[in-house]
Amino acid sequence: MTRILFLFAIALFVAGTASAVEISTTDSSAALFTSLERTAGGVNTISSDFVQEKHLALFKTAMISKGHFYFIKPDQLRWELTSPVASGFVLKGDKGRRWHERTGRMETFQISQEPVMKLVSEQLFAWAKADFAWLTKEYRITVLHDSPAALRLEPRSAATAGFLRHLLINFNADGRYVRSVELHENDGDFTRIKFVNTVVNKQLQADLF
Amino acid sequence: MVPSFTLFEKLYNFCAVRRKILFSATLLIIALSLLASSRLHLQEDIIAMLPDDSSSVAQDFRLLQLAPFTRKLVITLRGGSSSDSTALIAVTDRLAEGLKAAGIENVMTGPANISGGFFRWLGTSLPNLTTAEDLVRLAAGITPTEVQNRLRTRYEQLFSPEGWALKGSVQTDPLSLSSLALEKMRFLNMVPNMRLVQNHFVSADGTSALLVVDSAVSMTDSGGSRDLLERINRAISSSVPAGMSASVVSGHRYTLVNADTIKRDLYVVLTLSVFAVLAIYLVFLRSLSAVFVFLVPTSILVIATGAIALYDVNVFAVTLGFGGVLLGMVDEYAMLIYFSCRQGGKDPAVITAEVSRPVIFGAVATLISFGIMLLSSLPGQRQLAIYSMTGIVAALLISLIVLPHLIKPLPEVKLSLTSLGGAWRPPRRVVIGVWLAILAICTWQSTNIRFNGQLGAVSMVTPELRLAEEDLIKTWGNMRGKALLFAEETNLENALALNDKLFALISGRIPAGDLVSLAPLMPSDALQRANRERWFSFWQNGRAAQLGRDLAKSGEAYGFSKDAFTPFLATLIAPPPATTVESLRAAGMGELVDSLIIRSPGVVRVLTMVPDTPQVVAALSEEIKTVPGVRLISQSRFGDNVGRAIIRDFTRYLTLTSVLVLALLVVVFRSPSRVMLALVPVVTGLLCTLGIMGMCGIEFNIFNIAATILIIGLCVDYGIFMVCRLTEGSDHTTNRAVLVSGLTTLAGLGALALARHPSMYSIGITVLLGIGTGIPAALLVIPALCGKDTG
Repeated sequence: MTRILFLFAIALFVAGTASAVEISTTDSSAALFTSLERTAGGVNTISSDFVQEKHLALFKTAMISKGHFYFIKPDQLRWELTSPVASGFVLKGDKGRRWHERTGRMETFQISQEPVMKLVSEQLFAWAKADFAWLTKEYRITVLHDSPAALRLEPRSAATAGFLRHLLINFNADGRYVRSVELHENDGDFTRIKFVNTVVNKQLQADLF
Repeated sequence: MVPSFTLFEKLYNFCAVRRKILFSATLLIIALSLLASSRLHLQEDIIAMLPDDSSSVAQDFRLLQLAPFTRKLVITLRGGSSSDSTALIAVTDRLAEGLKAAGIENVMTGPANISGGFFRWLGTSLPNLTTAEDLVRLAAGITPTEVQNRLRTRYEQLFSPEGWALKGSVQTDPLSLSSLALEKMRFLNMVPNMRLVQNHFVSADGTSALLVVDSAVSMTDSGGSRDLLERINRAISSSVPAGMSASVVSGHRYTLVNADTIKRDLYVVLTLSVFAVLAIYLVFLRSLSAVFVFLVPTSILVIATGAIALYDVNVFAVTLGFGGVLLGMVDEYAMLIYFSCRQGGKDPAVITAEVSRPVIFGAVATLISFGIMLLSSLPGQRQLAIYSMTGIVAALLISLIVLPHLIKPLPEVKLSLTSLGGAWRPPRRVVIGVWLAILAICTWQSTNIRFNGQLGAVSMVTPELRLAEEDLIKTWGNMRGKALLFAEETNLENALALNDKLFALISGRIPAGDLVSLAPLMPSDALQRANRERWFSFWQNGRAAQLGRDLAKSGEAYGFSKDAFTPFLATLIAPPPATTVESLRAAGMGELVDSLIIRSPGVVRVLTMVPDTPQVVAALSEEIKTVPGVRLISQSRFGDNVGRAIIRDFTRYLTLTSVLVLALLVVVFRSPSRVMLALVPVVTGLLCTLGIMGMCGIEFNIFNIAATILIIGLCVDYGIFMVCRLTEGSDHTTNRAVLVSGLTTLAGLGALALARHPSMYSIGITVLLGIGTGIPAALLVIPALCGKDTG
């Protein structure tokens, strides 16, 4: 369970920072990774819409959801679903807030006390700090395409590999943000998140967080 | 003619021509005893004062050791003013690593990683665990409306971040039925104020983290405890940054504090005793022969210690601490021999024979006092009895057989009491009047005395330890102070069945947060079978099929595939694997199982824990009478029970000692008036001890009670000596012997009263009061009552 969330967190981060990966698994990839790292360093905020498709055997058709994603470096994030159910969460430092419109549930939490959110935020902030040492440790990264950059991440740990086959990350043309993330599970299910209308370094309203 | 034992006259004459052999044999015995003493191992813990027989108190104590946190070290890491739990957890992990680096392997900072295995186990175990009451709730949760609501909730969850983790469970348990089993986890919360943060034990206020160390070092092993605590402290120093702190609470700390205190006390008491006794000898005896008198009690210490080491190498520190008392106690025989032989005027063989009578009677009275303690269920008391009796017998033999050959009589100069400060003779009526007044006051004041049967009253607890214990309770709740209920049987199945009955009996009375029981998650096979049958019966008559239809209908609306819930529906009617210890372990609950199922040869105990409050304990004590095989042990009540058992034991021994000593006096003196006279020091000593303690507000604890037996044994000696002197024609050397030996006894005991350890202090203060008042009674009151002066 936590592993899946962990991967999800990575996907979120990748979408948010567009820093992609700077893992010098091979000499030929080094230049690309350096470039992505440099580009990520210049990204301070992201505002984006997203469309999430979940292709699960459990359902007859894909589960489609839409929403907004906001990020301010280094530790503020808003993940908001607008359909089919209005819900979402905000992470800010060690604090968090989640809501669900239909049930009217609104609650605050401390990230460190919620394993799931802890994983999400940990991964996010690790990427925000461009912690490539950690990425190298966790994933084998293959460059699928140089421009626009496309990466394939395969988990190194057997436990994670037990349910996740790989991640596919596609960047926009200038490498500043992610266009899409795909999480492929071993049972054939996969999730695709497409980021659209992405704006980088736009002034974001404080009350979003 | 003075009555005497002619055996000792003959013995003196026999040895007189074989003195080299006699002295050599004596020295050899002392040397061998010294050699034997070198192998002893000092044991400073409270075990000495805990019954080791088959009494219920002894059994309770053994069972108390099985409580989950009793034998573990609990480390509380405080995060200081910061409430940053991330930093706290990072330091917790660093400290755990530091402890491992220091060779302390079993360090737990959180539960075993409860992941998917646990939830799978919950789901598959549901038929085994679901009670009739649960099924009523289940029926309410599977109505068409409820199915629709629950499925919608699950569907919506799949879009959320948590949804990534829920895909599997939506398929296997779309209606969250396993929450019925999950709720049962409430009965496994062993640490009241704890929550899990990143799988670490963190306090409810988020400021502290908990580390539990399971060490193989026995709590009674002071050397091992010292090494263990030193390693822990080193790890804390190197791992915990400034601004944070860590405190350790465990029985090991108590052992170490008590060990250190007793060692310091032993050093002080024995050193002071030896010097004080030597000083008294130099002041009052002023002769080279006095050195030999001094050597009698000192060699007795060696012989008694050697003998006890041969009996058991593990010697309780309190036994050796008693050496100071013995040193001051056994010299009275040597003293009487010394003064009589120095006085001269007769053949030393005749003097020895004459003195042997009061000496032997006195020694027998003291031996009776200590002999009674052999019946005690307390190992410390039995060892003390052996130690003291060995010392007394050795003192008697050396005093009567060896010492007379070492003392040269003063041919011309007669010793007189005046030279020992006895010039002033108080009038008889004044003596008797004052004595009666003191007895009356002390009798009155003795009614104020308070008994404290708690073991804590005789155990050393430093302010630091008390504070650490208080902090632990404040931070985590009283996790170490629960009352324990043991369901005890010969095999696991029967023990679990008994535990089921117990849970059924008490679960309505005690809320889940306060009650810790394995029963809801690990019922017996029989109950699991019954639960399963009820479960399958529940799903029959078309109920499972109806649920399938309701799910399909609601699922259709959300786009679930036709077969989405087939696995779930199959589990409702498929026989699940039995819930076993192994399956609990596989689900990540091995620690809990090991804490609550305790196996020993031929016995399996399943532990339940409840709040240790007087109300709960009193109510449960009655209720569990209906479930034979269940034993309730309250830690707070245990202290009272031990105290009561010890007081009961000692009261019995005290009575027995009094009766036997009285019988001895009757046999020796054959006259009611002389018997009464001989008892004057005993009665005075006892009444004054109780009276003064009552007056000063000193509590009477289990060691005070033990010490009253010593008062009887010592004071009756003085009574016997004085009555022999006054009624059988002995000379005034008896007064001197009683006075000087009394002073040396007081010196030995006075040193004990300086001890910091409560047990030694208690013995010291009691006997100090008893002997301090018994000696004047012997020297002044007996002659006054006899109608004779003191000289």
